[in-house]
Amino acid sequence: MLNFLKKDPILAIEDYDFTAFKQVLNTPAENIISDIKTADLKGRGGAGFPAGVKWELARKEKSAEKYVVCNADEGEPGTFKDRYLLENSPWQVLEGILISAYVIGAEKGYIYIRGEYVKPIKIFNKIIEKAEKKGLLGENILGSEFDFELELIRGAGAYICGDETSLLNSIEGQRPRSRIKPPYPIQSGLYGKPTLVNNVETLAAAVEIINQGVETYTALGTAESNGTKLISLSGEVNEPGVYEIEFGSLTIREIVEQLGKGIRNNGQLKFVVPGGVSTSILPQEKLDIPYSYEDIKAAGSNTGSGAMIVVSEENDLIDLMLNVAEFFMSETCGTCFPCREGIRQVCYLLENAKERGYLTQRDFELITDLSQTTYLAARCGLGQSSLNFVTSVLEHYRDELLQGGGQ
Amino acid sequence: MARANLLERLHTIQDTYGYIPENEINKLSDQFDLPRSKVYGTIKFYSMFYTEPTGKYMVRVCDSLSCHLNDSEGLVTAVKNYLGIADGETTEDKKFTLEVVECLGHCGEGPVMMVNDQIYTYLNENRAIQILKDCM
Ligand SMILES: Cc1cc2nc3c(=O)[nH]c(=O)nc-3n(C[C@H](O)[C@H](O)[C@H](O)COP(=O)(O)O)c2cc1C
Ligand code: SF4
Ligand code: FES
Repeated sequence: MLNFLKKDPILAIEDYDFTAFKQVLNTPAENIISDIKTADLKGRGGAGFPAGVKWELARKEKSAEKYVVCNADEGEPGTFKDRYLLENSPWQVLEGILISAYVIGAEKGYIYIRGEYVKPIKIFNKIIEKAEKKGLLGENILGSEFDFELELIRGAGAYICGDETSLLNSIEGQRPRSRIKPPYPIQSGLYGKPTLVNNVETLAAAVEIINQGVETYTALGTAESNGTKLISLSGEVNEPGVYEIEFGSLTIREIVEQLGKGIRNNGQLKFVVPGGVSTSILPQEKLDIPYSYEDIKAAGSNTGSGAMIVVSEENDLIDLMLNVAEFFMSETCGTCFPCREGIRQVCYLLENAKERGYLTQRDFELITDLSQTTYLAARCGLGQSSLNFVTSVLEHYRDELLQGGGQ
Repeated sequence: MARANLLERLHTIQDTYGYIPENEINKLSDQFDLPRSKVYGTIKFYSMFYTEPTGKYMVRVCDSLSCHLNDSEGLVTAVKNYLGIADGETTEDKKFTLEVVECLGHCGEGPVMMVNDQIYTYLNENRAIQILKDCM
């Protein structure tokens, strides 16, 4: 088993040596960016945008002020791998933040941790305090010319703040609605300045690429998915938890069976949600595919945040659809009418269907129409992805849902 | 930069009083030179901020998908019955407020419940009620 990201906890600064960051301080920033690009590190927050490309764009922006933001708002049901990193490898996360800031030329950064993460917030407050004392934050870091200040921001319970543009509004003290893109945060982010937003795991992985060397890292994985990924495995498996896997080394079914030790109570596997509740489900018969960006995409879904939720035959499908739709109904920011009202109407139809025990042909048509409208008209990723789960369940279990019960 | 720190100020007020009282909102409105409606608008966006006093113990039970698959619904029902209140309500003695919430980031350890700052994992109904009894 690989352990680039899943390691024994290190909480004392004395036990952590910042090898990668020290190397970065003695290497031209362009080379570091080139390494991250060669490694083809894709953003681990869900959108999968190449980190090296983003770093390069951010570096090229001409501005006296730039910001880096570490996105630790982790709020998508099923996802808990960033919490794992914050609790067990906070120094590595800090190191990733330092490296990204140095490389793009930012002197100020934020780590935004969701308010419910009481323990990670405590840990990271201490990390910042200790790092300031040890000269890892502040002026002339480790005797270099590099000055950098890091501030922790606590979220306050709003999933939409995980979206990078809402996150910036939240930090600014604005109502945390999403912003229209373009401009992208890279050009005009926090207070209108170039801002690099990266997920916790992306930053930790960047450290690993520098430590292991690009060759070692790129030797791992598949054609389009290099290195390793943290998977938050949950749902009806015997052994849920955070696992690190090399891309392509296991199929989704193997992840469920070998890592999750199979379905609880000898149940039958029905489907897997591969990337959190904003992604489409993969039915049982489609699970013999390698875990990689490209294979999951080809199968009709998305790696998302790496939150794999395993579902057995023992469920009422309508109840599960309603559960996911209600999540998005309560988390929509309400700006776009189709997102706000579309999801609400889907919930209403599903509530009635749940009582009745089956979906009607008319429900099918209405939910499909509402999903399409919401997808097309929603301004941000929340609305666009809100009904993926529902529509994919509809698509795969049509007959079962029309006949009743979803059992 | 005008509104920077507003979020942290709201946290501090919430931490101090357990909610964000009206006179504090008035003060914020003066200090940040914002209409009161804008301060409210920001507060209302966040589920962890309250403009009315809540119970001494804030009980949050997650019912998002991973927990739902681990019978969080049963846990919600048990807690509701035990406290005699519905989602969003506060007990008459002002001890408990119950909220059925979205994912708390402990999806591999469900069902889960938070009581104030403390997270409890792998719960069953009996253990959850024992935890609430211990608060009394
Ligand atoms: C509704 C919504 C919620 C999101 N939540 C998160 C989150 O909790 N953490 C995260 O890193 N990215 C989240 N994202 C993605 C961010 O917008 C952004 O793409 C990401 O932080 C960029 O970092 P990365 O490139 O390193 O992945 C979310 C996006 C949307 C639309
Ligand atoms: S799509 Fe939904 S969440 Fe996104 S901006 Fe529109 S209303 Fe808000
Ligand atoms: S789904 Fe309950 S903690 Fe994540």
